[in-house]
Amino acid sequence: MELTFGILVDPLSALMLVIVTLIALLVHVFSLGYMNDEGETGLPRYYAGLGLFTASMLGFVVADNLLMAFMFFELVGLCSYLLIGFHFREPGPPSAAKKAFLVTRFGDYFFLVGVVAVFATFGTAQFAGPESFPALAEAGEVVWTPGGLALDTRFTIVGLLVLGGVVGKSAQFPLHTWLPDAMEGPTPVSALIHAATMVAAGVYLVARMYGFYALSPTALAVIAFVGGFTALFAATMGVVKDELKQVLAYSTISQYGYMMLALGAGGYVAAVFHLTTHAFFKALLFLGAGSVIIAMHHNEDMWDMGGLKDKLPVTYYTFLAGSLALAGIFPFAGFWSKDEVLYEALVHAPGEPLLFGGYLMGLLAVPVTAFYTFRMVFLTFHGEPRTETARDPESVRWNVKGPLTVLGALAVVTGVINMVPVQKVLGIEGIDLLHRWLDNEWSGIEGLSSHHYADIGPYSSQYLVGGEVGTVLAGAAVSLGLALAGLGLAWRLYGVPSPTEHTAKLGGIKDVLYNNYYLDELQVWLAYRTEDVAGVADTFDQGIVDGVVNGVSSVSLFGGSRVRRIQTGVVSQYAALLTLGLVALILVLGVTGGWFL
Amino acid sequence: MVNVLPPVTALLPVLLLGVTGLALLLVDTVSPDARSNTSMAVVSALGALASLAATVWFVVSGTGSVDTGGAITLFADAIEVDTMALFFTAIFASVTSLVVVAAHDYFHDHANPAAFYSLLMFAATGMALLAVANSLAVVFVALEMVSLPSYVLVAFLKQNRGSVEAGLKYFLVGALSSAIFLFGISLVYAATGSLLFGDVAEAVGSIDSLAGVTGIGIVMIVGGVAFKTASVPFHFWAPEAYEGAPAPASAFLSSASKAAGFVVAFQLFTEAFPVGASLAADINWVFAFGILAAVTMTLGNFAAAVQEEVKRMLAYSSIGHAGYALIGVAALSQDGGANGAVMGAAMAHLLVYGFMNTGAFLFVAMAERWGVGRTFEDYAGLARRAPVASTAMAVFMFSLAGLPPFAGFFSKYFLFMGAIDNGFLWLAGVGAVNSVVSLYYYSRVVKALFLDDPATPSALDALDVRPTALYAAVVFAAVATVLLLPGFGPVIETAQAAASALF
Repeated sequence: MELTFGILVDPLSALMLVIVTLIALLVHVFSLGYMNDEGETGLPRYYAGLGLFTASMLGFVVADNLLMAFMFFELVGLCSYLLIGFHFREPGPPSAAKKAFLVTRFGDYFFLVGVVAVFATFGTAQFAGPESFPALAEAGEVVWTPGGLALDTRFTIVGLLVLGGVVGKSAQFPLHTWLPDAMEGPTPVSALIHAATMVAAGVYLVARMYGFYALSPTALAVIAFVGGFTALFAATMGVVKDELKQVLAYSTISQYGYMMLALGAGGYVAAVFHLTTHAFFKALLFLGAGSVIIAMHHNEDMWDMGGLKDKLPVTYYTFLAGSLALAGIFPFAGFWSKDEVLYEALVHAPGEPLLFGGYLMGLLAVPVTAFYTFRMVFLTFHGEPRTETARDPESVRWNVKGPLTVLGALAVVTGVINMVPVQKVLGIEGIDLLHRWLDNEWSGIEGLSSHHYADIGPYSSQYLVGGEVGTVLAGAAVSLGLALAGLGLAWRLYGVPSPTEHTAKLGGIKDVLYNNYYLDELQVWLAYRTEDVAGVADTFDQGIVDGVVNGVSSVSLFGGSRVRRIQTGVVSQYAALLTLGLVALILVLGVTGGWFL
Repeated sequence: MVNVLPPVTALLPVLLLGVTGLALLLVDTVSPDARSNTSMAVVSALGALASLAATVWFVVSGTGSVDTGGAITLFADAIEVDTMALFFTAIFASVTSLVVVAAHDYFHDHANPAAFYSLLMFAATGMALLAVANSLAVVFVALEMVSLPSYVLVAFLKQNRGSVEAGLKYFLVGALSSAIFLFGISLVYAATGSLLFGDVAEAVGSIDSLAGVTGIGIVMIVGGVAFKTASVPFHFWAPEAYEGAPAPASAFLSSASKAAGFVVAFQLFTEAFPVGASLAADINWVFAFGILAAVTMTLGNFAAAVQEEVKRMLAYSSIGHAGYALIGVAALSQDGGANGAVMGAAMAHLLVYGFMNTGAFLFVAMAERWGVGRTFEDYAGLARRAPVASTAMAVFMFSLAGLPPFAGFFSKYFLFMGAIDNGFLWLAGVGAVNSVVSLYYYSRVVKALFLDDPATPSALDALDVRPTALYAAVVFAAVATVLLLPGFGPVIETAQAAASALF
């Protein structure tokens, strides 16, 4: 077995490199406005963390094997921890940082076991090439299978182990609980790490080794179901949140659920497409929220805002573009990508109950998403200002407006990179650029193309009504209609001069949603239940591991002090010891060599 | 380039060192007014650098290497210039130049530093001569030529009791060791009838009934080598001599003089007592070296771990490193495929060690020049006032411990890998355990420099003195230690080719 480090640049990683570097650049510029202009202290630490994060993320993206990916995966996790806890003197951020670290670590534990399992199974962890583990898995060449396990089962187990890291990092159910708390970090950090890039690492990892996952229908179905469930589940919680960034956090979880749904449904390109558009519009929304937060003197409660539309026009229009994209309204970027995700799930769903369940939940999440998004927009920007600060907000400078404008434009137009529905309906060839890009049309690496993944994947397409064109149109119409319905409801309830809280109408569900389905409590409860196990591990660590280490050091130091005593400082003793040592050496060699016979 | 110059010019590096020493002596005697610390240091440095330049030129152009017709022999085969000799001469010349530069600051207020430089040059000449020796007689004479100036160098601070006492102890242990060595040579001569390496090797191959006499002789020669390399049980002089000597002299002894001991060992135990013939005659010196290596490593590192003074810690660490380098002869085997590899790795380790250990002792010299004290506590917080030098010291410490990304990591790695390839897993294991122990005491220095607070606020005032030349030498050694990492490829290739040529 060989452990190597290398760089893998193919269409997928090249696209990801563009996304990461572009958003990192914009976030650095935005930070000038959000951190420097606000007179924050500890800026060197902040920018060091940001730089280290960007470097680690790029390292993860270009990693050519699973072990290297794991290392950089841990590094981005560390940077996330450091940056969430940036304001470490306040009580909230350090605790949130710890939570983020521990919860993602829980997933990473499975990932690590998965990395070892990949090495044990294939003897390599390379992503690309004929000797890579996806290729070996496809050919059925494994070096070790424990207990005569069937290959499929083995691949599924390995895939699900690695998926543990993915679920933790991409904040999927049930390890999503850290992300809303991570909003304690500075807003540019949320935009870069907890919206556009680091949380994308999980999804990217599945896409990176998609050739392996495609071989395991069970793993794919699990991914799809978890994704669809997370999409709906997180969206419902977003409905009742009062703080701007909290809404965005739940929406992020929900959107990554869509990407997982796409991956599980065999929609490799759709997932990457949604990853791309989401990176742009969610970074935009977070930076827009950051701009609002600056204006509101760091008050994030939406009920204290209102009417900011006229005071912050650039922020408003860009934020609106991002919101339309998030809600999936035609023709904004999010519409195209979300539509393709749902379409892929739909045409592959017949005969796959888990996948179909995922699809239904994904579809149900569409109106919910549109609703909470526009609830947020109306509460923040429309109506009458509800506080003094909202009446006279602080203005923002070019370094805030610039990044917003760039991302705003991208949120509107990014859809054009993959106009598959238009191509199918109108028959215009060649406008599915992303499909062709990921299919190695321009260049790429053998075995890492979307075509190859489709060939080895378990799914076949089945069209429901009126063949392919009909299904495309019907799917798009349904999801657009649902999105518009959600938007309309939000308009009716909150698009009024003085909106009031309607959450009481939800009755008992309200409390459940407010408390995030009591999942945090459940996790704390579980943690206390397992305290004894942790206690035993701690005793083992303190007593046996540390004990051995301490023992070794005591023995070494004791031995050292004994040795030291030989050095008496008396030359005649030296001469005696020296001569005796030589004689002993001569005797040992002489007796063994038979010199004296 | 083959044989363009007359063969005797192959001795140019040795001659340059010797002539420089004589010139220094001449100026010192004939024109005492002309001597000044600076002019003496400059002449010595130029001489050492010229010798280094000549050596590097010879290595690059392949003088004495297998590709260009093999080793060059002179004076009825008493001298043999090969790549290994040149490799070690490069170590001697580099260390000498560093020490000379540092000594310039160290002896800034000394009444008569000229003697120090000439003694240093003569000792270096002796070392270079040792490297090219091809006869036991030449080896002995050259060894004495190294030893006698060394005793004086240690006792050079004649007003300082510690220095004089250390010199005397060094001399007494040295005299005993020389006697043992010479006795060993006479026994070998008695049994084989020759002093030339080649003839001795031939005789050892058919030694038959005289194996016992030869064996005892060889073990005594091993003793002489152990003295020069400061290996157990001939190491007793080292902690005291290194501690009492002026720090530049300690640097010189622990780096160059030790390397000189190893070049003797490497030449003797490949050319005069080849491993195959010796084992066939039941003279298992490999085993003797194995014991010495393991004991030396362990004793050096464990004793270093409990020292309170940095210089004494470095002295023991240098004993530990002698143990590592001994693996180069202890891990040889009959028909072992990796014989050349492991010995070459030991050579490369000695080269790297030459820079990192000299640098560490020169940092101590700087601390003595500042007058901050000798213990770990006295070094607390030095990094605040001397960040560059302290960083250099940290580089030396981590490199000595064998941590990446410093050159010490690679040399130790190749050494242990060579031992494993040759079937000496246990030696590599002992080495690895010892490296772990060594990290403890090396990092204590770094901790003191960077993390600890000085005992008193005024403790650092002494650092207002800026010994420029010492600084330059320390920084240069640090840069070399770091640059030897990317440059390790050619070094290890040259070393392993040179070592392989002897098997």
